[in-house]
Amino acid sequence: MTTLHIDNSHHIREHLRERASATIKRRQFVSRLMIALCWVAIGLAALPLGDVIINLFSHGWSSVSSWAFYSQLPAQPTLVTPDAVGGVSNAIAGSAVILGYALLGALPIGIGIGVYTAESDSRFAATLRLVVATMVGAPSILMGLFAFGLVVVQLGMGFCIMAGSFAIGTMMLPVLAASTEIAVRNVPATLREAGLALGAKKSTTSLRIVLPAAITGIVSGAILAISRAIGETAPVLLVIGGSQAFTWKAGDFGEALPFMIYQDASSSYPAQRAQAWGIALFIVIVVFFLSLTARIWANSKQKERR
Amino acid sequence: MSNQDATVNDISMAQVAESASFANAPVAMSLRNVSVAFNGRTAVRDVSFDVPQNAVTALIGPSGSGKTTLLRALNRLHDLTKGAVVTGDVKLGDIDVYGGTIPTTVLRSRIGMVFQRPNPFPTMSLYDNVVSGLRFNGVKKKSILDDACEQALTAAAIWDEVKDRLKAHGSTLSGGQQQRLCIARALAVEPEVLLMDEPTSALDPISTASIEELIGQIKNRVTIVIVTHNMQQAARVSDQTAFLLMAEDRAGVQIEVGPTSKIFNDPDDSRTLDYIRGRFG
Repeated sequence: MTTLHIDNSHHIREHLRERASATIKRRQFVSRLMIALCWVAIGLAALPLGDVIINLFSHGWSSVSSWAFYSQLPAQPTLVTPDAVGGVSNAIAGSAVILGYALLGALPIGIGIGVYTAESDSRFAATLRLVVATMVGAPSILMGLFAFGLVVVQLGMGFCIMAGSFAIGTMMLPVLAASTEIAVRNVPATLREAGLALGAKKSTTSLRIVLPAAITGIVSGAILAISRAIGETAPVLLVIGGSQAFTWKAGDFGEALPFMIYQDASSSYPAQRAQAWGIALFIVIVVFFLSLTARIWANSKQKERR
Repeated sequence: MSNQDATVNDISMAQVAESASFANAPVAMSLRNVSVAFNGRTAVRDVSFDVPQNAVTALIGPSGSGKTTLLRALNRLHDLTKGAVVTGDVKLGDIDVYGGTIPTTVLRSRIGMVFQRPNPFPTMSLYDNVVSGLRFNGVKKKSILDDACEQALTAAAIWDEVKDRLKAHGSTLSGGQQQRLCIARALAVEPEVLLMDEPTSALDPISTASIEELIGQIKNRVTIVIVTHNMQQAARVSDQTAFLLMAEDRAGVQIEVGPTSKIFNDPDDSRTLDYIRGRFG
């Protein structure tokens, strides 16, 4: 077709090389520009977060770093003793108890639903999946109203810790179910088949092979649900009543950390407002360490299997 | 082309020599007009042959010819797939596999399976892996489990390598060892038939050789049906070979079944010869 002279082809090669080096320079420039833009974006995203954390520490550290914060009951400051705010031991205990009861109910049911929706392809499972997906996105105040209507009014238990647990539990339930379903679905099908091929029943396979293999995902999901629930204000606000006393009992009026923030923050005493910051910081620290332990645990579990 | 012919012939001469010994063996499983369809689309059609006892039957054929689909019909593993329908007769001895007279769990403990990729249970120790089938079926006594574990691992030729670390996880083993562990796990429930779905396709040549050797050893205690892509492997390990091919409508059909020596040296069907000689597939 076309015959090129040697001179000519040499010329073309030269030209191509020049073009290539120009292209590389342009690409390098674009690459650096994009990386710079990424850093700007990260900075913009981190700025408000950093601001929150700095504020939490500067306003809340003095409360969190004092032993009284954990050991004492709250006190009412007066004009004579404006700094006598006491501690939040009742709220820490209240939050722990509310969360404990909530987990007692929500963990088995949520994980059960998750395993079921992942392992079954029945119509009921599909419906359940839809309900779970809807509930995950439901505003938390709805769970509070539900708990109020059912536990406080209909069951006649009045304002109490149990009602708070019920509200928080129903809030965690769909999160647990959804994360369990994902974790179970991620278990390779070959493991399931291996179990069945050994003559195991489907339920045995689900409980003894699939569930253990999915455990890291399920625990991560549980930690996520706890982290969300611990700072949840709206549902507990409606149903626990509030209390200045230290109690573990499910039927008593209760106090919770976020509820306490709400009360402290509207106080006219600066020391109480500082305590609100302290509680907020405390919650952030607890959630941070929860997430951290979940991470470390999941990583070690992964390594063990490799 | 002539080179390829020579290789194939070398294999078939040397390694298929003694494969007609099953001729008078009792039938472990029989297939009659077995078809498998997914959502109305036929994937395997009208397969009929007998699986001789204590022999190795190889299912060969190009991709899409339905080898694995057919294999999974034998232990009812398609039951899990929505829209899968198996028709025809599959028999384990006198028992109708799809007849409903035998619970699927019992059936599957009598027809074991080894998969393409080694799949030890990741959360279990080596010991727990091997005895898991027994535990799932309700065996609890430690002495029985201990014996079964040692026996199965010995049968799978891996006992010496792992006996000092039975508490370790399966993932600490090499791929070939993992596959032998899975074979031990399948053998521990003492199945009559062992289905192997391309058991060496994820392994290196040395591990493959050790698994093939193992197959030769364990056929004394279990009947084997093996799916393989590798014709040399079929020639090396099997006594009987079934050759499947994809028909016009993309369903897998049986072209020829016979003693491996016959299939590899003197097949009746020209398509078998073409496949053996590497003209397609």
